[in-house]
This record gives sequence, structure tokens and C-alpha cells, in this order.
Amino acid sequence: MLYLGPELKNWRSKIVWALFLLGLGAAATLFANTPIFRMPTPASDPGSQVTFNRDIAPIIFRSCSTCHHPGEAGPFPLLTYSDVRKHARQIADVTEARTMPPWLPEPQELKFADDLHLPVSQIDLIQRWVEQGAVEGNAADLPPQPKFAEGWRLGAPDLILKAEKPFILPADGSDSYWNFIFRVPIEQTRWVKAIEIHPGDKRYVHHANILVDRGAMSRKREAEPGAGFGGMEIRIESQTFDPDSHLLFWKPGTVPYLEPDGMALRLDKGTDLILNTHMQPSGKPEVIQPTIGIYFTAQPATKFPMLLQLENDLKLDIPAGQKDFVVTDKFTLPVDVDLLAVYPHAHYLGRDLQAAAILPDGTQETLIHIPRWNLNWQAVYRYAQPVILPKGTTVGLRYVYDNSDDNALNPNHPPVRVRAGNRSSDEMCHLWLQVLPVNTDARQGDPRMLLQEALARHNIEKNPSDFEAHYNLAAMLQARSKIEEARREYEFALRIRPEDAAANNAMGSVLLASGQPGDAITYLMRALKARPDYFDARYNLGNALASQDDFAGASEQFRLALEVQPNDADVEANLGSALAEMGHFSQAKIHFERALQINPNHVLAKENLEELERATSK
Amino acid sequence: MWRTGSAFWGSLSQVVIVLIVGMVAAEFVLAQNHAFDLDGKAVDPFDAASGKIVVLVFLRRDCPVSSRYAPVIRRISAQHERDASFWLVFPDKTETPQTIRQYLRDYSYYLPALRDPEHVLVRLGQVQITPEVAVFNRKHELVYDGRVDNWYVELGRSRAAATTHELEDAIQAAADAKTPAMKQVRGVGCYISDLN
Repeated sequence: MLYLGPELKNWRSKIVWALFLLGLGAAATLFANTPIFRMPTPASDPGSQVTFNRDIAPIIFRSCSTCHHPGEAGPFPLLTYSDVRKHARQIADVTEARTMPPWLPEPQELKFADDLHLPVSQIDLIQRWVEQGAVEGNAADLPPQPKFAEGWRLGAPDLILKAEKPFILPADGSDSYWNFIFRVPIEQTRWVKAIEIHPGDKRYVHHANILVDRGAMSRKREAEPGAGFGGMEIRIESQTFDPDSHLLFWKPGTVPYLEPDGMALRLDKGTDLILNTHMQPSGKPEVIQPTIGIYFTAQPATKFPMLLQLENDLKLDIPAGQKDFVVTDKFTLPVDVDLLAVYPHAHYLGRDLQAAAILPDGTQETLIHIPRWNLNWQAVYRYAQPVILPKGTTVGLRYVYDNSDDNALNPNHPPVRVRAGNRSSDEMCHLWLQVLPVNTDARQGDPRMLLQEALARHNIEKNPSDFEAHYNLAAMLQARSKIEEARREYEFALRIRPEDAAANNAMGSVLLASGQPGDAITYLMRALKARPDYFDARYNLGNALASQDDFAGASEQFRLALEVQPNDADVEANLGSALAEMGHFSQAKIHFERALQINPNHVLAKENLEELERATSK
Repeated sequence: MWRTGSAFWGSLSQVVIVLIVGMVAAEFVLAQNHAFDLDGKAVDPFDAASGKIVVLVFLRRDCPVSSRYAPVIRRISAQHERDASFWLVFPDKTETPQTIRQYLRDYSYYLPALRDPEHVLVRLGQVQITPEVAVFNRKHELVYDGRVDNWYVELGRSRAAATTHELEDAIQAAADAKTPAMKQVRGVGCYISDLN
């Protein structure tokens, strides 16, 4: 027999990453585009006259006007004396209470890039100004009003995408969480340097996150194409080792920023971007239709950051009425990293959120401390300078939850037992760390795999019945050709979720790769029972049957695979091989040619076609 | 027209507040200190409400908390339509009938609105914040002033839903000819004094 059989090396497995809230970095230096205002230098004499023009305007222009100008999130402008005068006492109150400017972290040694924290001296100055009657002062003292760019802050984007259908935010009721799907119309892989998010009416959108959906998994959740779908927290499965790496976040006042040198987000044909938005009703119905502007770069990424998630949702089982419920997690880094940004996340019971790093020499650094958490002002916090965390550093979180009636934001009145979950009335205990592995040894392979493997092992330690941790660990081991260990982890995963389509398919692929097609078939059939349109499982089943010389069965599976995904060169080539094995040469030729139409460089199809021509010309 | 109190103190150039055993009767005088309807006509919200409870709801268009309350105010005013006359009162003197009309359309309000540029009603209702309400009983004595409910804890922090309902409690008490449990609870929102 001259024909090459189906190429077993083409087996595919899907890796499910427990992914959530990921995207390309934003936030950045809030005032990068605005002039530096001189800071007030009032007389230290507390009795001296404070004036708007000399003392207050510089504070307002620097710390308030960015959001408080027309078209931005602030509900009223703060650009002139009369604007500020109309809210003077309110400004004194909210700055003293540190409600405004919205900045949750305490001051700390490690500085953040866009720190909005007002110094006490400025808060005191505003108090004195209001107490003294909010005097305007000498016109000559007034600094120039800040100028704000209109439209796209980064200039005209290379690609502008508008949500296909708007979301109508109801006038009343609780907060809304809506996801808009942007189908990115690109024909080949492009690298993204920045994405500017225009979330619709900024006054009502509290924050928005972009998630990268490489497998168009979220479309299934839309009632009709383009409609978007509800949900506060969403998960997206990924097909390949493509760990999320960037935090693409918008909150009021965010100025979009360009990724640093060497970093970029890869977008492939068929990738969807999901904009996850949190909105608050305004009292009247609002039409929310976001737009995003994408800026490409010709330079592919050379640096690959990764998002590490510390979490301990399993421990979130908070008795009704408990005031100080503490949850912790800690993880020791297996490689040197630069920490670029952090993103703490809890819901309405979260009160005090802290994260710290203990370096190998024992020194402790506070990474972030939010003593009075407020979900409405959650944000990604980017460090002014990368934080060097050597291998062996332990990063940890400590979150305190208040499930008593004293917590006014408690969604339940009276309080009830609360556990982890995706609804806003459930809780969460998450901390994302954006890290860039450094000082890596190329012989060790992709350092992100080492991080992912260590994280999966850590998660299994915390929760031996964590399906995703077993699955991800197995996938890491499989990628590093540790087939036996991978198989063991998939077995654990399948004990937890026996019917899971992805785990059954992955197990099938491991068995197939280790020369056990008979066993593989059982798992692959189970994967297809759970998900009949599972392309990869069809393909793998076709290969498994072909390995057992069941070419009729194999060609049936390949045909079914093509119904799910019509333009796949591998499937066409393998279908051709199976048909050739059965002696259906003319049909086989059609499929080899089709494979070559899809991919003119498809080696198997080319070789088999030549072989077929030789055989039939005899 | 304007009723004058059976007894009042102070000169005619001031708003007159009559204190009756700790309550303020809704009596006010003087041509230049009127509240105005959207046609510019001086209006006494108590005139048309003989024997009815009167609720004044103080709003600022530039106060997002005021605006978020629109569905709540609409609901409560509809529920108590039989017992109480509701008036929306705008204390910002820079507001025009046009801007207020647009606002009423935007927020689907079908309640009568008044401009209160001289804060005659603000003083009468003893309110300080928008949104706050002043509730006058059937005898038009002030029985409650302050927040609608406890939805907002502070600016930027609101409960999923209010757990106390001071405005509705006050209306119910007034309808039952009783004294409300709370006489005054300050609201969360924007200072009216910032408009001075």
C-alpha cells in the first residue's frame, strides 16, 4: 500500500483556560495629554484668603476637569469658576470623604502610573476656600483652562468597530451588565498596539473590559447575531496555549495608551472582541452603543506578558451577618517576572482588599491596599515602573468581606449566606497580576507555560476537585510531551466532570498520540455525545478510526467535521487519504485538490496527490 | 392668591414662617419671592390643594442623584395621587422653563413643576439637598423634610434597593392624620446652598 495514512501528528486538543476579563492594556497616565498645571502655593497661614483663581483652579483642572467636561463621564462640567461655585460645598465634602477623585488605593511605596489621590494639603485648601465663601479672586491668577482632545485621543484608528445593536439601559432598577461582541473583520493576523474604547454614554457606563475570544465561543450566547448578551462575569474557553496577557480596561477618565515597545496583542482572523460593560440606570432609558478604535502595528510582539490570577473562590462561603470574613491566597513564582499591573476584583461584600509580595530575601512589599472597596470604581492599576519580582517571590492576597447589615452595599437585606458566583449578588475573590517573565532560559521553553503549570498545581493544592486546574495542568504536561502525567491529570479532570466534551476530546487525543486508538475512540465518542458539532473531536475520531483501518468510519467522521468547519485543509487531506485507502481514487483526488486550494503548501495533500497520480497512471 | 398667616412675624419684605408647636405652616407672602410655574406665573402650590397633602420634591438638573430618583418619584406620586399633590421644585435660578420642560420630557414626569429662584419653597420646606422632599399635612403644616428613602448611602454608594422609605411613611402618616416617625432625615445629593 503506497498511500500515506492519515497523519496522526495532526491531532488537536483543546485547552480550556479559565479566562476572564482580559484584554490589552489601557488606563495609563491619565494626564499624559494635559498640560502640567502649577500646584497652588498658598500662604501657609491658615487664615489667609484662598481664591479660586489662584489656589483652587489648578487642583480642579488637574484632578477633576478630565472627567468633568462635556462629553465625558462627569455629570456636570468643572471648567469655570461658576461651574465649580455651583458645587463648591459638594466638592469640599466628596474630596474630604475621598469619594472624589475616584481613587481607591492607599498611598504606598510602589507608585501607580495614574495616581489620582489628592494630597491632604489640597483637600484642606478646598475646605478653607468653601468656609471662606468660595471667593473667585484675581483674574490674573487663573491658569489657562485645560484643553481636551475631542473624538479619538490617539488620532484616527486603523479600524473602527461599532456595536451592531445598542443596549437599552432601563430607567430604573439595579445595575446592568451587558456584553457587546465586536467581530473583527481582518483576513490575516494583525498586531494591535492600542484599543481605544468609547463605551457609549460615559455618564452611565461605570467600567468596561475587553476580552479576547479567539474561538468565537461567545456568539452562541447571543439571542440573535449582533445582539450581545447579559452577564457580569463571563468565561471564554481558548483552543490553544494562548494565555491572556493584557488588561484592556476602561473607566471614567481613562486615557488610552500605547503598549510599551515589544508588546502587542495578536488578533487573528475570526477573533471576536467582547466588551463587558457595567452600567448604572440614570432615571430615564439610555441608549448605549459602544465603539472601539483599533490601532495596528507592523511590529509583531517580542515580549509576552501573562495574566496570573490569584483567587480563592472556594473559600467564599460567608455566613449571613458576618462582618470580617477573611479570604487569602498565595502563590510562589517559578520564574523572574516584572509586575506591570494589578486588577483586584470583588463584588459588593468586599471591604478591605490587599495584595503583597514577599521577596526571596524576606522583604515585604505592599502591591495594593484598598481599605474601602467600591465595585463601582474598580480599576486596573498600572505601576509607574515595573515591579521586579524574582523567582521564589510569594505573591498573596488578603480580602475582607462584610456580610452584615452594616455594609450598606450588601445586596441582601437581611443578609443571607453568600458564596462565590458570577451574579452581582454572589461574591468573588480575584486578583489579576500582569507579569512579564524576564531572565528566561530559552532551553526551558516558554516561561509562561512554567507559570501556568505552577499555577495549575497551586490551584489543585487549594482545591483538589478543581476541574480546570487538572485540565490546564494536563494540557501543559501534554504540550511538554509528558504524556503519561498528562493522561493522569485528564483522568482526574474526567472524574470531576465525566461528560465534559473538551476533557474527553483531550483524553482521546492523548490516547491517540500514545498509540491506543481503541481506547481513544471511547472518549472521543463521549465528547461528541456532549457536543455533536465539536469539530476537533470529529477530526480526532476520524483519525482514530483510520488508525484501526476503519476507513469508511473515518471518512464519515471527516465529512461530518467538514459540515462543522468547511474550509479545513487537514480534514480534506485526511478524507482524501481515507477514500484512497478504500480505492475511491477519483473522490480522493477531489479532496486532495480541495485541501491544496485551501492551503497550497499542504505537504500531505501534495504528496498524496502525486502518489495518487502515479498510482492511477500505471 | 397668597394667603397670609393668622399671625406672622417679621416685615413684609421677608418670607414669613409661622411656627405652630414646632411645625411650619405653609404660608408665604410677597410678590418678589414667588415660585413660578413654567409659564412664568406666580404659583402657590397650597392653593389648589385644599385639604390635600402637599409634597414638594426639590431637584437639580445637574445632580445625577436627583435624576436617578425620577422613576421612584413617579411611582410614589402615582400611588398617592388621591391623597397628595406633588410638585417638582427647581431651585436653580439659572434654569429656564425650556430646560425644565425638556427635563420633564426626558424623565417622563407628568407632575407640575415650579421654579423657585428665590428659594421661597426651599426655606418653607427646610430642605438643603437635592433630591429632598418636604411633606405638608392636610392642614399644610410641614411634617417631614429630607430624603425620599435610604437608597443612597453617600455620593457614589447606593444600596441595591432602599430599606427605609421616609417619604412614603410621611405621606401615609399624614393621610392617617398622624405624626410621621421621622421628622427630618438629610438626603444624599447636591447642596441647594451651592446655588446661592
